[in-house]
Amino acid sequence: MTPLLLVAGAIVGIGAAVATGSRDARIASLGLVGLLVAAPFVADPLPAPLPLAFGVAAGILAGFLVFVTARRVPDGPAPTLGLPATLVAAAAGYVAGLGATAVALPRLGPDAALAAGLAALAVAVGPIAVTRDIFRLGPALVVLYTAGTLVLNAVAGTPAPLTSIATGVLVVALAAGAAVVGSGAATLGGTTGPDEVHHRRPAVARPRGDAR
Amino acid sequence: MSLLPFLSVATAGTVIVTLLRDRRWLGTLAGIGAVLAALGAATAVRPDTPLGIGGGALAGSDHLRVLLVLCLGGGLLVLIVARLATWQPSAPGALLGGAAGIGLALGLAGTPPALLAAAAATVAASALALGSPAAPSRIRALARELRGATTSVVVGLVAAGIVPAAASTPGRVPGLAEPGLAEPGLAEPAAAALVFLGIGLVLAHRFGAIPLHARVSRLADAAPSGALPILAAWVPATWVIVILGWAPVALGPSSADLGLERALIVALALVTLLFGAVAALIQDEVDHVVAYTIVADAGIALLALASLDPAARDAARAWVLVFATTRTAMIGWTIAFRAAFGTGRLRDTAGWMRRAPALGVALAAILVAVVGWPGLLAWEARLAILRSATGGPVLLLAYAGSLGTGVAICRLLVVGLGRPSPIVAGAVGELPRLPAQPARAASGPAAPETAPARVRAASVPGRVRVLAASAGRDARPALELNRVPLRAFVVILLAGLALLTAVGAFGIDAAARAAGPSLPSFVPFAGG
Repeated sequence: MTPLLLVAGAIVGIGAAVATGSRDARIASLGLVGLLVAAPFVADPLPAPLPLAFGVAAGILAGFLVFVTARRVPDGPAPTLGLPATLVAAAAGYVAGLGATAVALPRLGPDAALAAGLAALAVAVGPIAVTRDIFRLGPALVVLYTAGTLVLNAVAGTPAPLTSIATGVLVVALAAGAAVVGSGAATLGGTTGPDEVHHRRPAVARPRGDAR
Repeated sequence: MSLLPFLSVATAGTVIVTLLRDRRWLGTLAGIGAVLAALGAATAVRPDTPLGIGGGALAGSDHLRVLLVLCLGGGLLVLIVARLATWQPSAPGALLGGAAGIGLALGLAGTPPALLAAAAATVAASALALGSPAAPSRIRALARELRGATTSVVVGLVAAGIVPAAASTPGRVPGLAEPGLAEPGLAEPAAAALVFLGIGLVLAHRFGAIPLHARVSRLADAAPSGALPILAAWVPATWVIVILGWAPVALGPSSADLGLERALIVALALVTLLFGAVAALIQDEVDHVVAYTIVADAGIALLALASLDPAARDAARAWVLVFATTRTAMIGWTIAFRAAFGTGRLRDTAGWMRRAPALGVALAAILVAVVGWPGLLAWEARLAILRSATGGPVLLLAYAGSLGTGVAICRLLVVGLGRPSPIVAGAVGELPRLPAQPARAASGPAAPETAPARVRAASVPGRVRVLAASAGRDARPALELNRVPLRAFVVILLAGLALLTAVGAFGIDAAARAAGPSLPSFVPFAGG
């Protein structure tokens, strides 16, 4: 494990925390860019230059898509944890991932990938499980997806170029989907989370003659 | 290489129809034309030399060809039914974008790329179908789909990373790691158990098994009905094929250690089969009836996973085509039903068959395709799946539950045979009608024809123009008058397609067993 891997993993963790914990949606999208640009470098050996460049470009494009939507986002409810607590959660996940070396988890990739993946996972689960603001769901989904790819890197080793390219394509598709959700919700003037159930229709007023 | 033209045509078609979505007639023509072009390209997909891309491969297969042809053919018919009812601008783009994603998912060798492509297909089809025009229910449904696709692909990727499987080349894990780094074999029991449960959860969520079924019914409420086949049937079917292409190979050797986990999945499948059927029986909206039949059949997909048997996998590859085609036909039927009576509530449409006998015939044909009979592909494939995962009384229970969809359709037919409700009595019948000719006297004295006009009309191009104008003038009102019989006719075509699939036409049984990017083995299933 080299210092470069540790630094790249730390950038991923910080980016994930900013993307999910920042109150300002634009700053959150910048955190997302940092996460997505650093994530392809958390691999040992590094991917070939072309898939690496593709991953970085896809990350920038995905972050840009989320940023464009973030400019239209009205002020919504603040994140549940807040930025400081989210940063602490990411740090805890990062340390836990590095500590996994002690239990000799069988894997083919670097510890830093597992650490970065767990850091991203730790901060992404909350906004996805309890979505109070639909605008925050998109960045959280991208963070979760990146966490999954990092854990895959840690377990199975550096992915083949085709998998790297497919990963980049799906990041962009997810960001585009998040942008569609965000802009649609902005058009409607804000929408609550996806789990809101239809309220029951109010009971019909009982007629006067019904004397029970 | 034969897959590339299809992917190009479908992607270009998606872009074109999405750009033309705000133009009603041009969008309709472009949508139908693009789907026809993609259908033509899909028929040319062959199991040819794989195209090497970045350490992986892209190749066609017989199964992929059949799946794409049925998806696009059925989807096109549903689009026509929907267009004869109303204009749904996002449906053609969703169908084409989803089909392109399906082609990619089933054409890529290796589990991780296939999972990524399946997720991309889900995201693309959902965003195209639900993104515009913005409405709260659609935005929520899209958010749910994105969340489901992301969590599913994350769990699937981690599972495929923990227990790798040989996909096309023995001793190699395509798309996952360098050759020789990971060999298929017996996985650690604890890891295999976790992976098995995780992948079962993914399958249950993508198909809408109980208790993760809310997604399907809410999707049926929010999505445009023309896009529902791709969202609720074909894309979940793709997830099933990808997962079942991997699980028996990767986890099969460890199946002896997975007794409890397999029992859990079987229990979940039984609950889904039985409660899904009950839910379909008590629904009042026809859309929800169809949605819960999809939920119920998630139990069969779960049983195919629980068996971890390559024979059940091959049966599932055949069954899933019957499933998706019959649900496509049922969705087309609900669109026509709702348009004919202005409502989809069964309590308001008692006796509907008096006004819509052709829809009744189509529904009866769909019933036959759904249930099948011994010797038929639909029947044998379903039974092979049930037998591979269950036995004794549990098999009997699963067998009874698997007939729930048929019972739900029977209920629709019984409601249709009742006494006609006022809404049904006031509905337009299915007999074709001709537009009334305006009386010459009523239209006033004709304008005197000038000599040059007479000469122009007498010439050949002039006659063609007059004929075309006359045909156009007559066709429009005739089309407007005959929307009901035309819809019924297209639904009958859909039912015919479902019947052909159920009897195993298009070489489905052979295609299900043929090797391909997502299926390395040749294992016949009993009775196919």
